[in-house]
Amino acid sequence: MGYYVLKRLLAMIPTLLGVAVLIFLLLRVVPGDVVEARFLAQGSQFVSQDLMNAERQKLGLDQPLWKQFTTWMWGLARFDFGVSMWTGGSIAEEIKLRFALSLQLAIMASTVATLLAIPLGILAAMKQDTWVDYTVRVFSIAGLAMPSFWLGILLILVMLTAFKWIPPMVFTPIWVDPWQNLAQLVWPALAIGYRYSAVGTRMMRSAMLEVLREDYIRTARAKGLWTKLILSRHALKNAILPVLTVISLEFAFLLGGLVVTEQVFNLNGLGMLFVEAIARRDYTLTQALVMLIATFFLFVNFFVDIAYAWIDPRIRYS
Amino acid sequence: MAASPQTVDSLTQREPGWWGVIADFCRRRPLGALGGGIILFMVFLAASANLIAPYDPLETDYGAMLAAPSAAHWLGADAFGRDVLSRIIYGSRTALMVGLGASLIGASLGAVIGVASAYFGGRVDLITQRVVDVFFAFPVIILALAVVAILGAGAGNVIIAIATPMIPRCARVVRSSALSVRQMPYVDAARASGFGHRRIILRHMLPNVMAPILIMATAFLGEAILLEASLSFLGLGVQEPVAAWGLMLRGAAVQFAESAPWMAIFPGLAISLAVFGFNLFGDSLRDALDPRLRTQ
Repeated sequence: MGYYVLKRLLAMIPTLLGVAVLIFLLLRVVPGDVVEARFLAQGSQFVSQDLMNAERQKLGLDQPLWKQFTTWMWGLARFDFGVSMWTGGSIAEEIKLRFALSLQLAIMASTVATLLAIPLGILAAMKQDTWVDYTVRVFSIAGLAMPSFWLGILLILVMLTAFKWIPPMVFTPIWVDPWQNLAQLVWPALAIGYRYSAVGTRMMRSAMLEVLREDYIRTARAKGLWTKLILSRHALKNAILPVLTVISLEFAFLLGGLVVTEQVFNLNGLGMLFVEAIARRDYTLTQALVMLIATFFLFVNFFVDIAYAWIDPRIRYS
Repeated sequence: MAASPQTVDSLTQREPGWWGVIADFCRRRPLGALGGGIILFMVFLAASANLIAPYDPLETDYGAMLAAPSAAHWLGADAFGRDVLSRIIYGSRTALMVGLGASLIGASLGAVIGVASAYFGGRVDLITQRVVDVFFAFPVIILALAVVAILGAGAGNVIIAIATPMIPRCARVVRSSALSVRQMPYVDAARASGFGHRRIILRHMLPNVMAPILIMATAFLGEAILLEASLSFLGLGVQEPVAAWGLMLRGAAVQFAESAPWMAIFPGLAISLAVFGFNLFGDSLRDALDPRLRTQ
């Protein structure tokens, strides 16, 4: 087990290096650079080439690519993200609050997804091929079909017409004012969680159906155990694992993948920051964001695998 | 063992024609047939948009600005007085074009890479799979946004941007099917006959992993339509004044959501219905083609 953990951790390094090379090169192919973008934003389109080159020199953009790359890597190796090319401020500072927001939203959305998927999946499996089953299935397929940003717009619309109230539009961290914070984040979490529950619900249903046909369930029934006990002790324990896996893997993508929903609810999360950074050709900030999102994804994957072995004694990695 | 009467029967029985297959599919999978019906309806709308749309989708009419649904404008009009129904009908063209284009490119390139990776094996396979790992670490929308930044917005570029994250996903799935195909004697036979790698990959292996490719392609279709809507909603996809569903939800639709909710509701319904149709159809197709994948 210890060996396996170490091997998995080491295997992340080449993948992360690949991500770094990919985003580094992709950004250099994007037409224009931060200096041009900044002068354009200031409204001064006709800036002399000398002035632009001087700015580029200040940012290190005149260096050869391999040198820029190694400088960046050297910084990353010391956990130093560097400074934003656009604002000149520390990237770690700039990302901190946005990361807190995106992480909280991802956790809340996954919680909503889990709370929907598990009971609905069990319900559908128990009442297989009845109208309950069909309703649950249509509900979950519909969730997969509705864009969560549109669901968000509808939520805001309903609250606006019914309660004359809209969620607060300025982010308050949970440690400052938990109520204000939850009042804002619950709605996007519902919109996103509903969508992401769909896969989990279907998984829960099919896993449950499969488990219910196993011999040990028949044995438990034959012993005369209560249905409730069979469900909670025998069936659920075995069926829930793949569902939790699917939901945690989706959780890994929620951190950076909620760009559009963030836009609807006016949330300045990592997704919106990415859009902003890439539009400004802020290489350093974009790179840092991508590395953060990719590392998060790899670590969640890693922990899911480890947790699997820990929860299910049948799985032993060597 | 002697041939059972059943086998003889199936030999003498006539092959069911295309219509027979379709009728059988509809009878066995009513939900899939419903999905297929929605898709056909959408194709019909897209094909005959210029005949059935009551207005020109680009025609602005300041007299009808933010007009509520009425006999003249069934689904109302937007902030420029453009007819919402007509824009939704024309929007189906954009959605289908981007969806089909992206899933066709994504699935076919991914399939070729996946089969080649499985066929060559060894170091080629290892490197390909590590590259696929790298792409997997990006959320789909982040990768699509990066490609849009390079190529610029617009329908053609959006197709490429959406196809890009799909290529590695398809490659991974197709590779695992192709690995078992590679063990088949006919692949060895083809090699022994001295055929080139390209011919073996394209003519011998690819047709035998068509089922997973088809499944991936239909699954991508719905996702591609959603992604196109997302990108357009962000203003980074299809550009005004082209009629596209995601674009219709942008800007004024949110701004005037309270006074003119039809602008926000109907285009979203169109997106949901289209994706719903493709998902239903894709699911049933998957069940019909590959029962092993049913639980996934």
